Amino acid sequence: MSQPPLFAVVGHPNKGKSSVVATLSQNDAIAIALEPGTTREHHTYPLSIDGETLYTLVDTPGFQRPRQVLAWLEAHSLSASDRAETVAAFVQQHRDDPRFHDECELLTPLINGAGIIYVVDGSVPYSAAHESEMTILRWTGQPSLALINSIGTDDHSDTWQAALGQYFQVVRKFNAVTAPFNQHLSLLKAFGQLEPAWESVLERAVMHLSEQRAQRRHQAARLIATALEDMMAWQERRTLTTGQPADAERDALAGQLRQAWYRHQRRREQALRLAIEALYQHHRVQRQEAELEWHSDHDLFSEDSRQAWGVSRKYLAGAGFGAGALGGAGLDAVTLGSSLGTGALIGGLVGAAGSYFYGDRLTLPVMRLGPLRDGLQTARFGPVQDSQFGYVVLGRAVDHWWHISCRNHAGRDTLDLAPADSHWLETLAPEHRQQIHKALQRCRKQKPLGSDQRHRLALAVEAALEAYSRWRLNPG
Amino acid sequence: MTEHPLTRLLAFDDQVRRDRRQAPAFLHRRDRRFGLDTEARDDDTLVNQWLTHLRRFSPGSQQNAGGRDRRLQRWDRIGLAFMAAGVLLGITTMLGLLYYDGSGRINVTVLLAFLALQLLLALATAVQSLLGWRPWGWLVNRSAGADTSVLQHLHPQLLARAAQGGGLAFTLAGLATLLVLVVVQDLAFGWSTTLAAGAESYHRLVQTLAIPWQALWPAAVPDANLVASTRFFRAAPTSAVTAVRWGDWWPFLTMAWLCYGVLPRALLRWLAGWHLRHQARQRLYHHPGLTALRYRMETPVLETGNPDADASSAPSLDTRGELQPYPDSPVVIRWAGAGGEPLPLDFADNGQRQVFEAGGGATLAQDRLALRQAAAVLALAEQPSAIVLTRAWEPPTGELEDFLSEAREQWPTDTLVALVPLATDPSRPPEPQQLAQWLRFSQRQHQARLQVSRYDAQPPARAWSNGGAT
Repeated sequence: MSQPPLFAVVGHPNKGKSSVVATLSQNDAIAIALEPGTTREHHTYPLSIDGETLYTLVDTPGFQRPRQVLAWLEAHSLSASDRAETVAAFVQQHRDDPRFHDECELLTPLINGAGIIYVVDGSVPYSAAHESEMTILRWTGQPSLALINSIGTDDHSDTWQAALGQYFQVVRKFNAVTAPFNQHLSLLKAFGQLEPAWESVLERAVMHLSEQRAQRRHQAARLIATALEDMMAWQERRTLTTGQPADAERDALAGQLRQAWYRHQRRREQALRLAIEALYQHHRVQRQEAELEWHSDHDLFSEDSRQAWGVSRKYLAGAGFGAGALGGAGLDAVTLGSSLGTGALIGGLVGAAGSYFYGDRLTLPVMRLGPLRDGLQTARFGPVQDSQFGYVVLGRAVDHWWHISCRNHAGRDTLDLAPADSHWLETLAPEHRQQIHKALQRCRKQKPLGSDQRHRLALAVEAALEAYSRWRLNPG
Repeated sequence: MTEHPLTRLLAFDDQVRRDRRQAPAFLHRRDRRFGLDTEARDDDTLVNQWLTHLRRFSPGSQQNAGGRDRRLQRWDRIGLAFMAAGVLLGITTMLGLLYYDGSGRINVTVLLAFLALQLLLALATAVQSLLGWRPWGWLVNRSAGADTSVLQHLHPQLLARAAQGGGLAFTLAGLATLLVLVVVQDLAFGWSTTLAAGAESYHRLVQTLAIPWQALWPAAVPDANLVASTRFFRAAPTSAVTAVRWGDWWPFLTMAWLCYGVLPRALLRWLAGWHLRHQARQRLYHHPGLTALRYRMETPVLETGNPDADASSAPSLDTRGELQPYPDSPVVIRWAGAGGEPLPLDFADNGQRQVFEAGGGATLAQDRLALRQAAAVLALAEQPSAIVLTRAWEPPTGELEDFLSEAREQWPTDTLVALVPLATDPSRPPEPQQLAQWLRFSQRQHQARLQVSRYDAQPPARAWSNGGAT
């Protein structure tokens, strides 16, 4: 079996080579710093399917002494036919020379057959200083592609494109921090076009990456649905042994239970975020959790959160009608249709009315004391009786998912989860609204969801993720 | 391992519930690994092998493998209770039906009507199970709490199986009681009806009913004479002739009870069991967890990246050095074309100051020439100093390091070298983080006479501020 293709990401120091590798290999653990020499050794990042490596990306140090290398090469070459061998000879001879350590590290994958991915910064002016680097790369005789990665805000990519076109088979623009996922795939396809033997394997990799992307969304929906179910149904309990508490004690107990309930809900939401980040292999965001606080005005339980992520009374009435009608339709089924759909209509109206009248306030739970039995009494706090709470949790979770799923692994900025200013759920199809509403209602009544209901909720949340992505692209 | 489909369904549902808390990536790896090793394609075998595979490596979770599932034990108890009740009711009902104190006769018509009612109830139970209707659901829910498992969808079939089992026990106990009473008592059977039915039509009815066993046991088929002679009327006196034949009905009644009581119940009990297994299989085939499992098994695990994270080993970006004012130097080295054209006045060639090109697009020979020419100029200076203009946005490389090292060898030993990084627009000061990398470079050279300076074309900024580059 032939060796899987190898792609060495090379270039001048500090031009975003590691950023490109981090984004393409979905690895946010790659050191990226505005300091030349951050990468001193070459590192390999294989993409494997069931343990079979399809291709390998190699992150390399930048050129430090390209003119000296080129001078050596020119001095030791007779004709164009021996250039690749001369490059190999250079590496062989200077392997232990600390001055050429970085050049040997970056040239080693190339003499082992790696394709060249040459990275430049398109936000700074082109300079002839890079020509010796490009000439050395051309001497290796390997298939090559140049990437114009813009680190800064200025744009000099046109001059870069013209110059790079003289040295490289393919020239592409690719911003490692902001490029959307379809551009990652398009770039990988371009890698495959460098060599006929690589095309099919890169096509395969692209196919698997696309499937993985779709699967991640599916799994994210399941994670969000599970968290939604947990948070809506959560009840804080305390068993009391001293009988009926006095009023003062009762207030203190209610305060304790409330705090415990709030703490649990916040932790559960945090756990969901970490799970979503882990799903998308964003482990560094996880460590920056202290910086990932929601803005204090937009805490999970704040009025602002309800304003931002809750839904309108009209929306609730619509969803409530649907959910009520589903229940009422059961009555029609019992009467074998002789009620002519009256059950569905009545159920729908009852659901809509209830949702409308209670939909404009975020009502948090209160403590309830159970009956005294054998000297023991149970104090309960929760579950929340307000569906709005579920929509707040859902909105924040979907927004967080969207930011994470669109975040490239080269990104190092703090995640900014500012609330949106108009409501995205309006774009969700009615049947999915009803499924979500029905599940929220069931959870708040502490009726656990069965496998089928859970599955339907996950599908509805997945549809919500799609709707949110669409809404983000075309808000309003 | 062959498990009852219901046991398999419950074990699978439980495992899917446990998996809900697991990371999706782990589940994918685990099940893909299993998928690559297994050759099972049909759902039953697949689920059996999958559960066995998981149990093999989790000995603690064998409770479902060995002992009977607790939820099914409950239904076993319900089934036993139905059977016990069936036996008891079967005996008492038959004793009631065959109650005979010698003053009258046991009406065969009543017995046949009871059989018909019993058959009707058995069919109603079967239909309810087929429709999946559970009008008694509230009772089950109250006795056991809300059953959230997949089992709650099978309550109609489970209850139908228990009910048919109870019905079977009822009819068997009734049959046994009938036979015992035939042996120990002299039972007097007759037939009677308020309807204006003649003996002939009644005979036709019993003959039709007896078709199933007429070849097997001809004596159990009442003849016309028996029918005619055992009819009784409430007010009619008993004749001695007919009294002899009153007991001849028992073979017919025994076979009727067996054929229209016991056998339908046995058949429906078997059907209820089959329907339960079928429904359990269907539930398993349509279980969302099975779709997800198949997907995980069939979808390759894609892994990217290197497990050796190096983000934590990034170099320190602390900068202790400070910017210094640049000297009025007779030598300016323009490294890699820094500063553009024309050069800022502070660095331009003006007769007092000479500018040399090195680095970047220049050749190494040009570098060496620049070094020699600069050395010649510096040799004449009282306080030798040189400015090296660099491009602030480009990081310092080994070539510059080599150049400065050679300069140190060739130039007067006390030459002050000032690195002046210039921005892409030289009239504007470079960004602090760009200057910081030059300060760190300068520190790494360990040369006392090497410094970094900032050029700012704006007059106030020219007062050698060192702020902003820390």
